[in-house]
Amino acid sequence: MSIEVRNITKTFGNFVALKDVSFKVETGELVALLGPSGSGKTSLLRIIAGIEVPDEGSGTILLHEEDTTDISFRDRKVGFVFQHYALFRHMTIFENVAFGLRVRPRNLRPSEEIIKQKVMALLKLVQLDWLGDRYPSQLSGGQRQRVALARALAVEPSVLLLDEPFGSLDAKVRKELRRWLRRFHDELKITGVFVTHDQEEALEVADRVVLMNEGRVEQVGTPDEVYHHPANAFVYNFLGNVNLFHSRVEKGKVYLGDIPIDLPSEAREDSKTAFVFVRPHLLEIELQPNGSDHFCAKVEHINAAGPVVKVDLLTDWGDPVHVELPHERYRALGLKRDDEVFVIPKERRVFTDHSKPSRGEEGGLP
Amino acid sequence: MNVMETLGSRSIKLRRGTSGRLTEPAWIKVLLIGVAMLFLAVFLILPLLVVFTEAFKKGIEVYFASITEPDAAAAIRLTLLTAAIAIPLNLVFGLAAAWAISKFDFAGKSLLVTLIDLPFSVSPVISGLIYVLLFGLQGWLGPWLQAQDFKIIFAIPGIVLATIFVTFPFVARELIPLMQTQGSEEEVAARVLGASGWQTFWRVTLPNVKWALLYGVILCNARAMGEFGAVSVVSGHIRGLTNTIPLHVEILYNEYNSAGAFAVASLLAILTLITLVLKSLIDWKAKIHAQFPDEVAGGRSYEH
Repeated sequence: MSIEVRNITKTFGNFVALKDVSFKVETGELVALLGPSGSGKTSLLRIIAGIEVPDEGSGTILLHEEDTTDISFRDRKVGFVFQHYALFRHMTIFENVAFGLRVRPRNLRPSEEIIKQKVMALLKLVQLDWLGDRYPSQLSGGQRQRVALARALAVEPSVLLLDEPFGSLDAKVRKELRRWLRRFHDELKITGVFVTHDQEEALEVADRVVLMNEGRVEQVGTPDEVYHHPANAFVYNFLGNVNLFHSRVEKGKVYLGDIPIDLPSEAREDSKTAFVFVRPHLLEIELQPNGSDHFCAKVEHINAAGPVVKVDLLTDWGDPVHVELPHERYRALGLKRDDEVFVIPKERRVFTDHSKPSRGEEGGLP
Repeated sequence: MNVMETLGSRSIKLRRGTSGRLTEPAWIKVLLIGVAMLFLAVFLILPLLVVFTEAFKKGIEVYFASITEPDAAAAIRLTLLTAAIAIPLNLVFGLAAAWAISKFDFAGKSLLVTLIDLPFSVSPVISGLIYVLLFGLQGWLGPWLQAQDFKIIFAIPGIVLATIFVTFPFVARELIPLMQTQGSEEEVAARVLGASGWQTFWRVTLPNVKWALLYGVILCNARAMGEFGAVSVVSGHIRGLTNTIPLHVEILYNEYNSAGAFAVASLLAILTLITLVLKSLIDWKAKIHAQFPDEVAGGRSYEH
C-alpha cells in the first residue's frame, strides 16, 4: 500500500511544525524520515498514523490513493511502533501482542484458538516466543522493541510506521537491531516509514530517505543520491561530518584560503558569501607541497584511537579543520603536535548564501 | 517510590564505603527512634487502647448491647448507607476528574485542580453550613424545596451531600499523580490498534490505575464513615433517624454513657485498623507489580 503525503501543514500554537510537506512512499518501500530534533519528522509520522491531525485546510494523507481524512484508526490498517514502545505494562507479552485482535468487533474477532496461533507465530517471527508470559518490565530494551513490532503487526497492517525505533537502545543493540529490521522488511515486503535523527541509520536501512529540516522537506532520494548529490548545504552538512568554511565571493570565485574555487552553476550572480564544505576524510595532509591546491595549517591535536586517525588542525588564518587519515598514512607521515603541514582538499562543495546551513557550523572565516 | 529506593540503596553503599563515618553515633539513633516511638505510643496506640478498654469496661454484654440497641443500629445503617452512596459517586467523579486533568489540556485546568482540593482546605463545619444556607428553610432554595416537599437539611440527603463534599478529593488526589507519570502513550497505542474509547478505558486505563484507585476508595471510605463536622451541622441529630456513628458517639458521651460511647467508637477504631491493613496490603501488592523496575520508565519523560 502506498502512502502519499500531500501539502501537510501543522502548527502547535505559534510553532510551525510542518510547512507544506509532500512526498510519496511506494508500495513495499522502506523510507526513513531523517532530520535533527524539532524538524517535524515525528509529527509527520503521527499525522500519517492519524494520531494527530494536520491543520484545518491543509493537505491530506492518502493511503493507497485513498483520502484518509475521515477514516478512523480501525480502518486505516496502520501499524505504529512508538518510540518508547508504549507496551501495556499490566499485560503479559502474549496479551500485548493479542490486544489488537481481542479488541476487534465481535463479528470480526478471531477465535481464541486462532488468536493463540497468530500471536505465537508473531512472537516466533520476532524471536521472542519463549517470553510470552513475562511482563514488559521484565524485558530488555531490544526485546521490548521487538514485542512492540509484533504487536503492531498483529493487526495485519498494510503500512508500518516506526518512531525512532532504535532511539532508546544502546549503540551495539541498535546496530544489530537495524540490520534485523532491514532483513525483516525484505521478508515481509510491507510499506514502512521510520523516523530517525541518526543519518547512519537512515542511510543503512532505508530504500529512500526524506531529509527534513525546520518542518520542510529538504531532499528526497536514495541513500546514494542524498549522500553523493546533496541538494543543499543542510543536507551535505547533516549527512556526515564536515568542515565548513565561510568565504567571500570575488569575481565569480570563492576562496578557500588561497585556493580559488568556481561558483556552482546554479548559484545566483549576486551571492556575496559562500560556504565551502569539505568532508574530513577528503582532506589530505602532506609535509611538502606537491603541486596541488593547498593551504597551510598547524597540527593541534591527534586522536589515533579508532578505525581512523582524527587530526585537528588550525589554518594559518585561524580556522579549525578536522581531518581523518588511515593509520598507514598517519604512520608514514609521522605527524606530531605543532607540525606545520600542507592540506589538500580532494573534493569540496560550495553552497551560496541562499542555501544557508542551519546547524553544526564548524569553523569558518568571520 | 523507585527514587526513594535508589536513594536508600545508594546511601547504604555510601555508609559501607566510608566505614561508618557518615552515620550518626548509636546514642543519637536510639534517641531519635525512641522519641518517634514514644510519640506514636502516646498519640496513636494509647488512645486506641483506651477506646477498647473503656468499651469493654462494663463487660462484653454491655458492649454488644450498646452496639445492637435500635438507635446504635440505626446509626450504623445510616453510616453504611451514606458510604454506599458517597463512595461510588466519588469513585466516578474522581476517576473522571483525574482522567481529564492528567490526559488532556484544556482551559481552566488549574482551576479544576484547585476546586478538587477545596474540601481539604475548607473546615468541614463551614462546608456543612454552606449546605444549610443553601438548602435550609431560611436558605436560598429552602422555600422551593419545601414546596416540593423534599427535605435535604436535617435529613439523609443532606448527610450524603456533606459526606460527598468532604470526601471528594481522595480518589482524584490518588489518581492524578499516577496518571500523569503514566502519560497517555498506552492509550494512544490502544487506539491505533483499533480499540474503541470504552475498550481503551476498561482494558488499558483502568487496569493501570487499579491499585491507586482502590487505595483512594479505602481512604475515601474511612473519611466518609468517620466524618463528624460537616455531617453534624446538616444532620439535626435526630436519634434513630439522622444520626451517623460519630454523631451517635457524641450523644452517648454527652449523656455520660461512656461505655456505650466507647463501644460504638470502637467500631470506628476497628474500621481504622481494617483500613490500615488493607492499605499496607495494597502497597505490598502494588510493589510486587513494580518489583522489576522499568528501565525505560526512568528516562521516558526526560529524554528529549
